[in-house]
Amino acid sequence: MITCDEFMAELGNYLEGDAAAEIRQQLEHHLSHCQTCQVVYDSTLKTVKIVTDSGSFDLPEVAARPIRDEIMARIRKGPT
Amino acid sequence: MSYFGEVDLGPSFQPFHALQELFGFVPNLFRAQTLLPRLIEAEAGLAAAVLWNERVLSRSRKEFMALLVSAAYGNTSCFTQHHQTLRSLGVPDHQLDQIVTDHHQADLSSRDTVLLDFALKLAISAPWLSREDITVLQDQGFTDESILEAILVTGLTGFFCTLSTGLGVLPDFEPRAIPGSHKVPPPDKRLYVGGTAGPYLPALELSPESFPPFAFFVERFGLVPRIFRAQTLRTDLIEAEVDVVRTVLVPEDILSHVQKECIFLVGSAANLNTYCVAAHCEMLRRMEVSTEESDQIAVDHHQAELSEADKRLLDFALKLTARSSEFECEDVELLRRHGFSEEHILEAVAATALNNFFNTLQMGLGTTPDFEARHVFGPKDAHLSSTVDRPTEGTQVDPDAELVARVQGGDLDAFEELVSRHSRRVYRTLMGILGSIEEAQDAMQDTFLKAFQHIGEFQGRSKFSTWLVTIANNTGVQRLRERRHVESLDDIPSEADAEFRPRQVRAWAEDPEQLCSQAERRELVESAMMQLPPKYRVVLVLRDIEQLSGAEVAAALGLGIPAMKARLLRARLMLREALAPHFVSSAKRMSL
Repeated sequence: MITCDEFMAELGNYLEGDAAAEIRQQLEHHLSHCQTCQVVYDSTLKTVKIVTDSGSFDLPEVAARPIRDEIMARIRKGPT
Repeated sequence: MSYFGEVDLGPSFQPFHALQELFGFVPNLFRAQTLLPRLIEAEAGLAAAVLWNERVLSRSRKEFMALLVSAAYGNTSCFTQHHQTLRSLGVPDHQLDQIVTDHHQADLSSRDTVLLDFALKLAISAPWLSREDITVLQDQGFTDESILEAILVTGLTGFFCTLSTGLGVLPDFEPRAIPGSHKVPPPDKRLYVGGTAGPYLPALELSPESFPPFAFFVERFGLVPRIFRAQTLRTDLIEAEVDVVRTVLVPEDILSHVQKECIFLVGSAANLNTYCVAAHCEMLRRMEVSTEESDQIAVDHHQAELSEADKRLLDFALKLTARSSEFECEDVELLRRHGFSEEHILEAVAATALNNFFNTLQMGLGTTPDFEARHVFGPKDAHLSSTVDRPTEGTQVDPDAELVARVQGGDLDAFEELVSRHSRRVYRTLMGILGSIEEAQDAMQDTFLKAFQHIGEFQGRSKFSTWLVTIANNTGVQRLRERRHVESLDDIPSEADAEFRPRQVRAWAEDPEQLCSQAERRELVESAMMQLPPKYRVVLVLRDIEQLSGAEVAAALGLGIPAMKARLLRARLMLREALAPHFVSSAKRMSL
């Protein structure tokens, strides 16, 4: 069975769905036996979901509009 | 004055005397190459034969072409140089600006106007050039010899623009802003020619026995390539070209022949040059690189059996060829970090520039391949110039394509729509890098203004949104650089760069999002992300919040896919550590 270090080295590809079939099998086999890596994998997946759903660093329309107006005003004015 | 150090070549270095005499000073472009003086000599020889000596086209006519082509490539340094030369020849500023803005309205003769039409088309849409374009020049009374010279002037301007970008050369004079040009509509895919429908110009039969440059080709390559046979109306130009080939391609004391041929191969593929790709595949085959491997390098060198360093070298050449407006000091730094010396990098820049020169020349001449074509490029191959994940980027329909075309046609309302569509993404990218609302909003304006300024150069090789995020990233990094005195995101020291191991290994709640409200989660995430170094924060913003594809994130950040993935995993794990105390299952916490 692969080691935890080897699991961590492939975790990026695994999360991105890019691990080759043979590697994926080894990773899944490791996960079924290693509680620590199972926790890391599960909580990293949850982290990604929380980040994606958080809507962080949004620019509200009320802030976006004046910036957009300023950009377009500068463009319409032409090079100075 | 450039990315490279300068050494004193002493008073006996003849090319500098000649340049001093011609310009009254030695241009920075040549000073930047003193570590490899042989390059300076050959380049100055080529420039003298093509541009500086008056034989058929007048100097001012050639400078007009060079001015317009430099502007089309967005190269301020070369544009300033040609602008200054034309001023010294007595051309007023307003006419020079008008040539760039719209040369049809610049009070030029109809002959000059069609000559500039030709140069512009060859410079930016070479695969669309056809025999008809040559006929238009002939109908205006241009001789075959003068058309050949026009092709070379256009190619040479591209050569110097590439050199200037790759070397990071500052202008010799007060930089002259390139006026906004009228937008040339993207070429119609149905009219694609591909550069091998000629040869368009007649040529004289010369034998290797009587013409030494041809003997050189036979000895070196076993034949005289048709691209040179097609130029026999001007043997002086062939001689100057051969000198550059001898200087850049032949020596093997710095980069190897295989490395140089690979640079030519990826550059030619990015320029959709069927002729040159066939030629360089054949050269590589003779160096015992299999044709399958050459094909792989041409189509996507990331998938080829190359060392990591050689992949970086080809990334470098490809970016300089196809995305020169995004090229920056960091690209040179990256090669240094992969063990390439200053001389290696100088030679890579020169080889890339020379490839662009020959690609342009070949498309202008329309010669058929000397060897069986490995890959006949078509208009859909434009994605080959993207460094990463080409098929994905190339085959997706860009939802912004129609708006971009309208902006390129001068429609400002269409640009406002693009700003509306993408302002959140640009803002988030900048927040990822700068971590400050005020700065991100300010840099957002710069990003869109730059995008507008350069939208004429956008050719749809990536999605518009990826291109825009790349500009945002460069703008953000530039500001960070000014603030922190660092060259790139990688230069900001961080404890996070050390060996990283997950420390929080308690299981999380089954449904952690139920543990707090949406607003609280957002606050937690933002607060945790603000603790991350910018290079990790920005990759999370682009991949996990904006949900760009891995390839798009890598392209926008100028990273290879493996580097982007490594950074993304590290960022996710660091964020996981920060969020863990809030989301571990209460049962587990109680048991501790």
